[in-house]
Amino acid sequence: MTSKLIVNRRRLLQGGAAFAAASTLGAPLIAQSRSLKIGSYGGYFEDSFKNFVYPAFTEATGIAVESVTQPNSADWLLTMQQAAQAGNVPADLSLYARDTLIKASRMEGLLKPLDMGMIPNAGLLDPYFVFDDQPGTLGVGAMSWFTSMVVNPDELETPASWADLWDTSRFEQSLGLAKRYNAGLMDIVAATFFDGVSTFDTDDGIVAIIAKAAELKPNAALWWSAESQMEQAMKNLDVVAGMYYHDVAGIMASDGFPIASIFPKEGNVQDYGSWCLSGLSEKSAEAAEFVNFSCEPASQALMSRMIGTAPLMEREKTDLTEEEFAAVSGVPSIRPAYGAYLDKETFIQEAWDKMLAEG
Amino acid sequence: MSASAAEEAASAPGPAHTDASGAALRLGLLAVLLVLCLVPFLFVLAISFGHKIEGAGWEFGFEFTHYARFFFGAAWPESFSQLYWQRLGYSVYFAAIAAVLAVALAFPFTYFLTRLSRLGQTIWLVILLSSLSLSEVFIVMGWDILLSARSGLPALLDALGITDWTKEIGWFRWFRDVGLASPRNFKFKTSGFATVLTMAYLVWPYAVILLYPALSRLDPSLIEAARTMGARPLTVTRTVILPLVRLPLVGSSLLLFVFLLGTYVTVTVFADPSQHTLAVSIYDSVRGSTLNAPFGAAQSVILLVAAGGFLLAGRRLSAAAAS
Repeated sequence: MTSKLIVNRRRLLQGGAAFAAASTLGAPLIAQSRSLKIGSYGGYFEDSFKNFVYPAFTEATGIAVESVTQPNSADWLLTMQQAAQAGNVPADLSLYARDTLIKASRMEGLLKPLDMGMIPNAGLLDPYFVFDDQPGTLGVGAMSWFTSMVVNPDELETPASWADLWDTSRFEQSLGLAKRYNAGLMDIVAATFFDGVSTFDTDDGIVAIIAKAAELKPNAALWWSAESQMEQAMKNLDVVAGMYYHDVAGIMASDGFPIASIFPKEGNVQDYGSWCLSGLSEKSAEAAEFVNFSCEPASQALMSRMIGTAPLMEREKTDLTEEEFAAVSGVPSIRPAYGAYLDKETFIQEAWDKMLAEG
Repeated sequence: MSASAAEEAASAPGPAHTDASGAALRLGLLAVLLVLCLVPFLFVLAISFGHKIEGAGWEFGFEFTHYARFFFGAAWPESFSQLYWQRLGYSVYFAAIAAVLAVALAFPFTYFLTRLSRLGQTIWLVILLSSLSLSEVFIVMGWDILLSARSGLPALLDALGITDWTKEIGWFRWFRDVGLASPRNFKFKTSGFATVLTMAYLVWPYAVILLYPALSRLDPSLIEAARTMGARPLTVTRTVILPLVRLPLVGSSLLLFVFLLGTYVTVTVFADPSQHTLAVSIYDSVRGSTLNAPFGAAQSVILLVAAGGFLLAGRRLSAAAAS
């Protein structure tokens, strides 16, 4: 059951508008004294929250949760921005990816600092997942996911390094790579051939990363933008290796498809979602209680098992078995150069697109 | 046409309220036109002059940055980029080839369709009209499977031994060089071939429906006369049929061309990023991670102007040819 939940998760993020209406209709209308509106990505992802996470929270605290559907992170930011201008609060807590969180933190009054005194469990998370900015802590990590190296084990020997994918004698016209400039390939190149995130500090560094990525072009059979494209291409043998979501690859493998998700020596790209409090929300206390609940090791383990996301703390703090942990996470983790992607977005996007556009 | 009908109604002897209702009708039509076409377009136009805040969203403003970016690239004047010209070029290239291909394939089909019995024609037209209900996404999914290595054309070529045969005689190398094969197998995704094929497939039913009225009005006696005078079927087609339906042929090609300029799903799935079109670029700007709606809007305006230009040129050309 979990498998179906996850395979459909991001696909629904892409076309989730239709589901938005349907899911909102399903929200329980419980009249209770304390309540909280929480946003999450629509479809099965949100359903998993409604079925497993929110009931556990309501049971523990007596706070009723009204689930709000977000189409994704970036578009939801626009919705929240427009709502804030109109004085509305569609959701007290929203789920933002880190780049969107940073964007939101730069827009006046969109986010309100979380009351960290009420969130002692945040101390259990890796500090990287707690986002502090000028007015205070604006985002606390909810869950994370990996974009990892995948191979078809029937066709290939497992590469030990991302650098192996540059070998045209092994991979000519064989790879499925993410097309968006900030989907992780630049971070992989920086971690494999350069100095990681610090390479993004200079324009020359960025140009060098893009030039190195360009050398992969003879080996790329597919530059995917939608998750389902890569899923189909792996299933149909159109590609035999590349980059894809770790959790979904694991589920495809357990369904019998020839795909293995591996952690090469440089690691895989880790992205994560944060809980952020709307600037106009009057539910600071309830929100803090929920975020504190979400940071509990038991909640992190619950999300890993039921939604397939990686916990934001070491395995030892949770009761996840090694096998359960490996299904959703791994080491080392490559952390995206969020700062550069935002501060130099036009430059990087155009340089990247230009590289892809050269025949 | 509606205007002349309304005038007719107005001049007809009758009570004065007919005139009023005719005016109301015209006003209503104008309002619909405004709301459905002009207002959204003006909105896009206004956004295209907006200001992008790097690393955040955008706000309304009045600057030509996004048009300059289209023409010269974001880094201009330090460096020049023809990226967006290239995107526009591929929009035109794919749409033109696919439109001409669709019309060329629809022409003989429609011709023979009009020679069928009334019942036969009805059945075919119903099938064609119902095929229009298939969305682009659905059609692309179908071709995706038909062209896949495991289940589609490459697998068929493999099973027939054609893959091994071309490898033996050395032609396979050529297919790899033009990007239609991996070291293991034939590979049609991604390729310009798959893109044009799917785009042509997409509009082929429209081409048939557009050509049908003209071809069904063809006077059979003209063809019979040419045949009795000893002309071969090909000569009849060339000298009698084609000149008669030249205008509908050109007109439907133009219409389908403009229709195909905005193709999105087919291009994202079947075309290599080096051949991506302006439609993809617009979507990436507006909905992608940069949320640069002003640049997306500027590209849309340019695509619209280009489409208008082609329609105008087409009209001029066919008018010149007709006179």
